[in-house]
Amino acid sequence: MQASFLVPALLRFPGSAARQDSWGRLLKITAGGGELSTAARLIRGETVLIKFELGGERLLIAARVHHAYDDDDGQRVAELRWNDMVERRRLARVLLDVLSRA
Amino acid sequence: MAAIGLLAKEAADRELLGLMLGELGHRVEGAGRLEEALEFARERKTRAFLLVDGGGADAESLTREMIRAFPLLPVVVALKVRDASRAVALMRVGAAEVVSPPWTPEDLKASVSKGLRFQGTVLTVASAAPLTRSPIWYALSVGLFLAAGLGVASLKRVESNRAAAAMRVDRWELPVRHPAGLAFDGKALWLVEWFTQSFYALSTENTAVQLVRHLTAETPVAAAFTAEAMWTVSADGTVIRRMREEKMTPLTRYPRAAPNSAGIAFDGLYLWSLDARAKVLRKHLVDRELSVLATYKWRGAKAAGLLFDGKTLWSLDAADRRLLRHGRDRPDEIIGSVPLPEYARGDFIPAGAAWDGSRFWTVGEPTNGKGPARLVRHNVEAF
Repeated sequence: MQASFLVPALLRFPGSAARQDSWGRLLKITAGGGELSTAARLIRGETVLIKFELGGERLLIAARVHHAYDDDDGQRVAELRWNDMVERRRLARVLLDVLSRA
Repeated sequence: MAAIGLLAKEAADRELLGLMLGELGHRVEGAGRLEEALEFARERKTRAFLLVDGGGADAESLTREMIRAFPLLPVVVALKVRDASRAVALMRVGAAEVVSPPWTPEDLKASVSKGLRFQGTVLTVASAAPLTRSPIWYALSVGLFLAAGLGVASLKRVESNRAAAAMRVDRWELPVRHPAGLAFDGKALWLVEWFTQSFYALSTENTAVQLVRHLTAETPVAAAFTAEAMWTVSADGTVIRRMREEKMTPLTRYPRAAPNSAGIAFDGLYLWSLDARAKVLRKHLVDRELSVLATYKWRGAKAAGLLFDGKTLWSLDAADRRLLRHGRDRPDEIIGSVPLPEYARGDFIPAGAAWDGSRFWTVGEPTNGKGPARLVRHNVEAF
């Protein structure tokens, strides 16, 4: 299902990365991962904390960048894999809820 | 070339961003106030709007107003101060993209292009497949598939052998006359004999007696095992927690905790007792007093035993000669029953039951009180 909106996401990085918070748009959200469009230079293997809101629920979920590339517009597109199993299950529930209401 | 509306309170910002957008090939319509910007959007059919946040302008309210007037118009916001939370808040109110300072033609180009091709997030429960697979991954997958196939075939064989073995019904005469209960400790069956006040550990292979323990001070009527302890009940209702060793050393006594006990069972968290006279199942918390947490009506005719098979509680009804399966959430409800045709002739009365992980066992007392008790291993296929 394609939503009528793009889900905005706040990106936080581990202290060791010494990077400022950033933001982006989640182009795709699944129970196992997502696709993020951002101006931040994400690289493969990097860990990032993604904070976003879906179906009225606030989610804060750690993710690993599985694959990243620059799109035609010069924005970074990152394929993410959720690391946190507990939040992952919660996200699956939220997705089911949102999809069942669509 | 697209007409882009530009709303910036400060003239310097308008000039800078106007130049950048012009360099990118867009026609720019600059405005200092919202009313002006809305007028431009109406008259000149702008395809997107760029707002500046900061310097006295609140892009959040401006974005709201802009989207209210033109719901399909993408709005891009340029921040004067970098603030990720602010950026996310702006996107939440409807901004298609947010550009962080310092503004560069590259960032502006990417954001405006994205804004012009604004689409929604794809939501799906299924996980996305990885983009690339290496040959090693495929080789491993094939290997894993073959291994899984072999594993399934082996498991099926084991299962069919087990089912064939389970088809048998076995009976043994026991060297006791007055059995009161039966329990399984993970290796051996434990027979409780009230008349001689004894416990007999029996092999599940051939029912050979492996251990006999006489208790001179009490009359045992039921037993159950947990991972670390053995629980027994005496005729006066005293529950005793014992060490799991040959001497069965008592650790804790709970006087009259399980009166008129027909059986006890442990479900991994709570100890359950079956009161034969009151016909109730009691759920005990394993604390200092073995507190009763709940009491449920037992709907059988004559209670003779209680066991837990890893999923649900079962009780033995000696009058109806059947095992009753109790509901998990509501143990007062019988959700199934298993007849015991081995007792149909009436020469034995079932006195205790146990579950060894795959089959039920029962022990029967001769009706006339003479002759040896009988141990029965039941056909699991019948259940």
